Amino acid sequence: MRVEYINPFVESAMSVLKSTVSENVKRGTPKLSTSINNIQGVAIIVGLAGQVSGRVVLDMSEETALNVASSMNGERLDSLDELVSATLTELGNMITGNAITKLHELGFKFDLTPPALFVGDNLRLTDNKIEALVVPLELEEGNLCINVAIKENIYK
Amino acid sequence: MKSASDFPTINAKIPDGLKEDGSKYRVLLVDDSIFVKKQLQQMLLSQDYEVVDTAADGEEAVAKYKQHYPNIDLVTMDITMPKMDGLTALEQIIEFDRSAKVVMISALGKEELVKKALLLGARNFIIKPLDRVKVLERLASVVKR
Repeated sequence: MRVEYINPFVESAMSVLKSTVSENVKRGTPKLSTSINNIQGVAIIVGLAGQVSGRVVLDMSEETALNVASSMNGERLDSLDELVSATLTELGNMITGNAITKLHELGFKFDLTPPALFVGDNLRLTDNKIEALVVPLELEEGNLCINVAIKENIYK
Repeated sequence: MKSASDFPTINAKIPDGLKEDGSKYRVLLVDDSIFVKKQLQQMLLSQDYEVVDTAADGEEAVAKYKQHYPNIDLVTMDITMPKMDGLTALEQIIEFDRSAKVVMISALGKEELVKKALLLGARNFIIKPLDRVKVLERLASVVKR
């Protein structure tokens, strides 16, 4: 997996979270993950297709999701309702949108699917033959993980 | 002691959303996310703009523009939306009213997308996340031109 593909997503996540959620975002130690990942209670998933295929997952606990959505809205939100869902999918949209804008400038052409939001306990994500890089991000609102799995398509 | 009201007019900034005659600039807000709608609405209302209507997809945007015409001064247009995307809606609005003032707002800032929007007649292109000061500056420069 080429690091050029991954960095823009992590950088974009950091900068979008800084400007929309809170100033203090710390990047934890990245790890390469095996095929099965445990997902915390709430996951935003965006698919990638074009020159590469893969997906980006942003996952966090339900409590963190509510804290993040509350900060983005400037008001306390206590349930995963329509506004919270719209806020979280917009977060996924901004992070991936800004990242692929950067990647286009670097000459990598691919597109995004609209973000999907998954909520539930004991979610597991299985990737078939794609390595994923998981980067934990620490905020006052709680911890979240950005999980990027990309493979290049060999055909042109 | 003097208070601010002793110096009423010299530095008083007129809100961006007001025309010279004191009436409000009227905005059609197009976005499929209720979060973005709410965010934009708060920014616009803080500067005394009037949000005349909102739309959640391109088709609705074109229909509402025609419905309110000529009582709309500005459209903020998302790009990725269900049914009809924002670029197609932009094209159809400009076809209907060549002087329509449409500002695109998107998380995608790919050069070819921005170019395409400007070629189709968009007056400006704002990339999300939305920074309140920048958004208001851009919108004011478009309505007041």
